Amino acid sequence: MTCASYLSLQGVGMQFGGTAVALDSISLNIAEREFITIVGPSGCGKSTLLYLIGGFLQPTTGGVTLRGKPIIGPSPDRGIVFQRYSLFPWLTVRRNISFGLEELGISRAERDRIVAEHVRLVHLEGCEDRYPRELSGGMQQRVALAQTLVCRPEILLMDEPFGALDAQTRRILQDEMRRLWLRDTKTVLFVTHDVEEAVVLGTRIVVMSTRPGRIKEVIERDFDIADGDEFEANPRFAALKLRIWHSIKEEVEAVRA
Amino acid sequence: MKFMPLLLLAVLWQTASMTGLLPATVLPPFSSVVAALVSLVTSGEIFPHTAASFLRAGAGLLLAVIFGTALGLAMARVRAIQRSIEPILLSIYPVPKPALIPLFMVWLGIGDVSKIAVIALSCLVPVVISTFNGARAVDDILLWSARARGTAEHRLLWRVVLPAALPQIATGVRTAIAIALIVMVSSEFISAEHGLGYLIFSYGGVGADDAMLAVVLYLTAIGFLIDRAYVAGLRRLLAWHAFAH
Amino acid sequence: MLPACAGCWLGMPSRTETNRNILQQVLPLGTLLLVWELVARAGVVNPYVFPPVSAIVMQWASLFGNGSIFAPLGATVWRALAGLGAAVIIGAPLGMLMGRARWAQWFFEPLFSFFFPLPKIALIPLYVHLFGLFSFSKVMLIFTDCIFPIVIFTYHGARGVSPIYPWSAQARGTSHLRMFWRVVFPLSLDSLYDGIQVAVVVAVLVAVVSEMIAGGGGLGYAMMLAFRYGDVRSAFAFLVTISLVGFFLYKVVQLLRERLLFWHVTET
Repeated sequence: MTCASYLSLQGVGMQFGGTAVALDSISLNIAEREFITIVGPSGCGKSTLLYLIGGFLQPTTGGVTLRGKPIIGPSPDRGIVFQRYSLFPWLTVRRNISFGLEELGISRAERDRIVAEHVRLVHLEGCEDRYPRELSGGMQQRVALAQTLVCRPEILLMDEPFGALDAQTRRILQDEMRRLWLRDTKTVLFVTHDVEEAVVLGTRIVVMSTRPGRIKEVIERDFDIADGDEFEANPRFAALKLRIWHSIKEEVEAVRA
Repeated sequence: MKFMPLLLLAVLWQTASMTGLLPATVLPPFSSVVAALVSLVTSGEIFPHTAASFLRAGAGLLLAVIFGTALGLAMARVRAIQRSIEPILLSIYPVPKPALIPLFMVWLGIGDVSKIAVIALSCLVPVVISTFNGARAVDDILLWSARARGTAEHRLLWRVVLPAALPQIATGVRTAIAIALIVMVSSEFISAEHGLGYLIFSYGGVGADDAMLAVVLYLTAIGFLIDRAYVAGLRRLLAWHAFAH
Repeated sequence: MLPACAGCWLGMPSRTETNRNILQQVLPLGTLLLVWELVARAGVVNPYVFPPVSAIVMQWASLFGNGSIFAPLGATVWRALAGLGAAVIIGAPLGMLMGRARWAQWFFEPLFSFFFPLPKIALIPLYVHLFGLFSFSKVMLIFTDCIFPIVIFTYHGARGVSPIYPWSAQARGTSHLRMFWRVVFPLSLDSLYDGIQVAVVVAVLVAVVSEMIAGGGGLGYAMMLAFRYGDVRSAFAFLVTISLVGFFLYKVVQLLRERLLFWHVTET
């Protein structure tokens, strides 16, 4: 067991505009190569949490450290995939993916090679010269993923990346996400509102409560998700799903009361 | 063809003239206007004036676009600049720009400089406003995304804000082009020695109505073609944008 | 949701939208005028060419005082309104017709499209020839210039009227004319008013410019005359008046919108 945590949040709180407390005393230690999924009811601040780790926001209390050093701003080491509309509309798929590379002063040939590799990785061969406007939601998210991965981030932040997609596309992309992760294991923080997605993808699942956003519980998925669709039949899978869903339901009802 | 009605109008005009419904003292026949135009073009007489007019307008427009874009971006980036410039722009806005022509002539003489200056000032306002609005409307996600891919803050303007704001800037420039033409002609009416406005004014002054109308027609056609060419050019440059359809 | 970071490009701390107090709006302009005043008085520039703000204001006041401003002011305003009115009377029905009748659209749209980019100012010599040097030619030019936005806005407004309305009226046996009057017309008024707001500014501009070039009284002519006599202060005063007239008329039209269109039906 490592003593110093890889990615650590200590007493992180986030307050907007003086009164709205989005997050309250979040403490979490994340080790390398974990796939953490974060679920919770709407408005629980899960995206805010992600942006804090990404360095887009600064916490009002507490701090986030990576390898012991505080996070002060965005960086390609912590790549982020947003839910939608994050591609640069004036660039083709190819240019979108190579965007991060262009800042690094790599040669044209090398860039092309890396881009081609990632286009293959996300199964978008043939679409390199299309504009985002011409792509379906699922394809756009694949581009977004490739765009993030070319920068070789050590941490991958994903903000409900499949949330805007239809169920079938979502399922397909989930499978691909798992495949990618198994192949090239990074640390992933994956925010979702879909409980099943959280269980399928995450090795550790963080359940959040709402108003203010706090960590309600952190559950380890202590069984493996088999390839293919057999995991659906696994009773432990169903049990875990139910447990988490109940946990969230409590929160939703508590707020309504 | 879509422009059949124009042809019809010309036919109507010609018929009215030929049947005497439209006396030549009121309006010359369409045919003589066309003849005058042909002679102006074949003699080459119209070209130096075309060049004079459009060089002025072009220079003014170019200045307005360069400074206007820069100013609009600065206003979008630095609140203080926005707060100080915006009221000034808003007070220039209701001034009919051609009314500034004699003032500029008092300040800068009657030559090209004053004309270019008025045109530049007139075109500045729509460019600044559209650039400002375009820059402000840039989705934060794009800025965050660029930062997360390693773009340094000072590069954001060039890599994200400008391309994202381009459609809106382009729309502002289209308005500016129309304004440039209006101010160009007005300034040439007031005082000029070359230019299409000058030609119209002097032909009108000596009663050479067919030549005058020929130049008016010529100007109309050029204005139309410029606008069409601009829109077509925009469609290609901004093919990625929704309005390319 | 991403917190708003209005216009800061990640370089400045997020701030909520500025509260527009009057001081903030007036200060930059006030400073500019102050600088102008000081520069003009410092003798750095020729006072003829660059009179101090105070002198302009005083001249402006005296023009009102001795009443010499009222005739040109009245002339310009009445011409602008007459031309605008004519444009509305002819342009609005035309636009609506174009919006609903295929043949009208086919015939008129290319005409308006083609002549739109022409600076109608170029027609001043023609109009002077046809209509004389005084108000009529100017009103005609204003009419010509204003009819474009009126027709275009009304046309698009009438075109945008969902076909459901006329169809349901037709099903109830309403005649074409009645249908037009009771259905299409009210729904197009909104767009027409947008066109009027644009056209009123154009009207003042064209009135002034045509006066500058063709004479015949009015603020534009008065301003040109002042320049010719070297009375730059009066010229400035006229310029300011011109701008205020345009601004004022625009605001009036804008404010009247609520009153005049209070009964208008909002589409689905």
